[in-house]
Amino acid sequence: MIIFTCKDIFEDMMTCIYDAWAEANAIGHSSVRLMTEPAGDMELFCEYRHVDPDPQKVQKVIRTIHKKLNWEAYQLVYKSAMSFASNKLDAIYRFLILGFAAGPRVLQMLQAPQVITVFELSRKVTNEAHLFREFLRFERMDQNVLMARISPKCNILTILGPQFSDRMPSENWMIIDDTRNLAAVHPADEEYYLTPLGQADLEQLNAHRETTDPYVALWKSFFRTIGIQERKNYQCQRTMMPLWYRKHMTEFLP
Amino acid sequence: MNTANQLTLQDKLTVLADAAKYDVACTSSGVDRRGQKGSLGNSCAAGICHSFASDGRCISLLKVLQSNECIYDCKYCPNRASNDKVRATFTPEELCTLTIEFYKRNYIEGLFLSSGVCKNPTYTMELMYRTLLLLRTSYHFNGYVHVKAIPGASRELLLQTGYLADRMSVNMELPTRESLKALAPNKSFSGILKPMEQIQSGITGYRLQIGKDPRMERSFSNRYLSNTIFQSGPAPRLETAAPPSVSLPAGVQPVHHTGNKPAPFVPAGQSTQMIIGATPENDFQLLTATQHLYQQYDLKRVFFSAYVPLNEDSCLPSLDTAPPLLREHRLYQADWLLRYYGFHAEDLLSIEKPNFNILLDPKCDWALRHLEFFPMEINRASYEDLLKIPGIGMKSASRIVQSRRQGMLDFEHLKRMGIVLKRAKYFITCKGRMMYRIPIQEDFLTRQLTGEDARANWEIEHPQTYRQLSLFDDMNLTASPTVEDAAKSISGQF
Repeated sequence: MIIFTCKDIFEDMMTCIYDAWAEANAIGHSSVRLMTEPAGDMELFCEYRHVDPDPQKVQKVIRTIHKKLNWEAYQLVYKSAMSFASNKLDAIYRFLILGFAAGPRVLQMLQAPQVITVFELSRKVTNEAHLFREFLRFERMDQNVLMARISPKCNILTILGPQFSDRMPSENWMIIDDTRNLAAVHPADEEYYLTPLGQADLEQLNAHRETTDPYVALWKSFFRTIGIQERKNYQCQRTMMPLWYRKHMTEFLP
Repeated sequence: MNTANQLTLQDKLTVLADAAKYDVACTSSGVDRRGQKGSLGNSCAAGICHSFASDGRCISLLKVLQSNECIYDCKYCPNRASNDKVRATFTPEELCTLTIEFYKRNYIEGLFLSSGVCKNPTYTMELMYRTLLLLRTSYHFNGYVHVKAIPGASRELLLQTGYLADRMSVNMELPTRESLKALAPNKSFSGILKPMEQIQSGITGYRLQIGKDPRMERSFSNRYLSNTIFQSGPAPRLETAAPPSVSLPAGVQPVHHTGNKPAPFVPAGQSTQMIIGATPENDFQLLTATQHLYQQYDLKRVFFSAYVPLNEDSCLPSLDTAPPLLREHRLYQADWLLRYYGFHAEDLLSIEKPNFNILLDPKCDWALRHLEFFPMEINRASYEDLLKIPGIGMKSASRIVQSRRQGMLDFEHLKRMGIVLKRAKYFITCKGRMMYRIPIQEDFLTRQLTGEDARANWEIEHPQTYRQLSLFDDMNLTASPTVEDAAKSISGQF
């Protein structure tokens, strides 16, 4: 068994798939496995191979997915790759094996365990991205910048970025992913870009935490007022908006 | 109204949000619109909820009144003229700033603007129109706007407002003429239907102008169903559907449109709401009225609002009446069956059986009365038939239909696809087998289904009380806890 490992970055994962496939052509798909680093508990009788990104191989894999399958399949693969699940890379690999054999109809083959696994992964990512689209909160900082902080499980910044670019094209805003120290930055009237945050950046941002945005108090009082006392139903509220998502929401901060 | 001048923005927001909270329609759905450089906002047809209030209802829009001053004296309303309350009015600028700033912080999806009748309907409508005009033109707001049409306002104002809003609604308040007369002496049934007709003809006019079907789009599932309420309804009246020509009152500027494209007129359609539980109508009357509104006025949604007693009056239920939350829930379930599942009001209820079953949801109830259709074979039933199975919705049905082309489905596959078998397992077979050995008998199935749903129903009816832990199945006992019991359960005496 050869286990191919790579960093949890989309380009690295695509290269990893390419290299594993090349190897599998010689020794068979059942003799290779893929995983993202950290590899966790190492297994005996396995050879671990680290893969570094190669832009050409990335292009080849993406092109093949588009050619043999379609755009929807690519979306499925991309979203699954954004998941936090540890088995995602292998799941994508198994899906592609079946997909390249069956063609675009693979998307409808929900009976196949390979397909339903990536389907579940991408559904989790889409759902989480949707909830953060609803529940993330911006706060006005100095220099007219709107800043939001989230701590999502999946890597959803590339899904949120285009949505908020469309929503607020002429505003300066940034969304910070606390779990990955990654930020989507959008200068007014320009395209957004992703950037990793270093320790210095984080300290600088934390120093500016105690701004007093006048609309925070207004929103809190609106939020308190709009609920009907006679219909109070916290259980329903928690079903629709789980406590886990409330970490950075203005109305639940003290 | 001198007090109004001394109120801060915070006070005004509290007063006017408090006055607006009983309006139900807080949806931002029905229209897809891309953002534009230089303006703020877009719109998503599925609708986006930004928060959920303590009562579990979604907060999608900034739901406020323009003013809670009101010359009318509707018995059920907290803002009626005879109530002694703090009165406040937003200026258009205040409302615009609030909307824009809230929107930028991702608190809301847009504005829901309603109002008490301040001075007279036309004056009120003009104030609301000015707010929207300012919001759209000076503040460049491109997000969602839902505005209430005030019955009795001039036709021109109503139509001009329609060019600025995404959705408009006129509140029916009560489903019958008699009830309306008893509880809202200043309103009349025909007065409410008139603006509804005007908005409808505006919408049809606009839709024909851009080459669309005159009737609003409905859920995609309706295309595959043979006999929905939207197909069997009377045809829309085309002769009245002309793009409205307008003459405005002095001092009101009309909306200016650029380009050759016709300006969208209420693209997300219109809606209405009815209060339930304040008057003696039964569920059958309510549901028939709802179906009629969908067919005749092509409404996009009808909302129901469980009556919360706020005022003391001889015509109204007493102040300690609990809001009929389970009944409201059943009506919404039935409303979905009408709009998405191809059911008719007459399928679900009849004159002999005018109210919904408290213990079972309307679809289960229907299925138990039509056991001749069941069990259904998942691998062979048509899309239309799949939708009739309790527990299977549009998404599940389309996933089944798609995937079974690639191979036979079994219960394990259904589970992994995300199809909930809690209710469905009593009504389906996979490859000719049921999940368990279940007799298809009405008594047995009713017992099973009510047992499973009892807890959920109890929680809808008593959202604020707690149940003591019990080893026994006492969910089917009918004695409901009193207000004292609720108090005791909190203080720990119970």
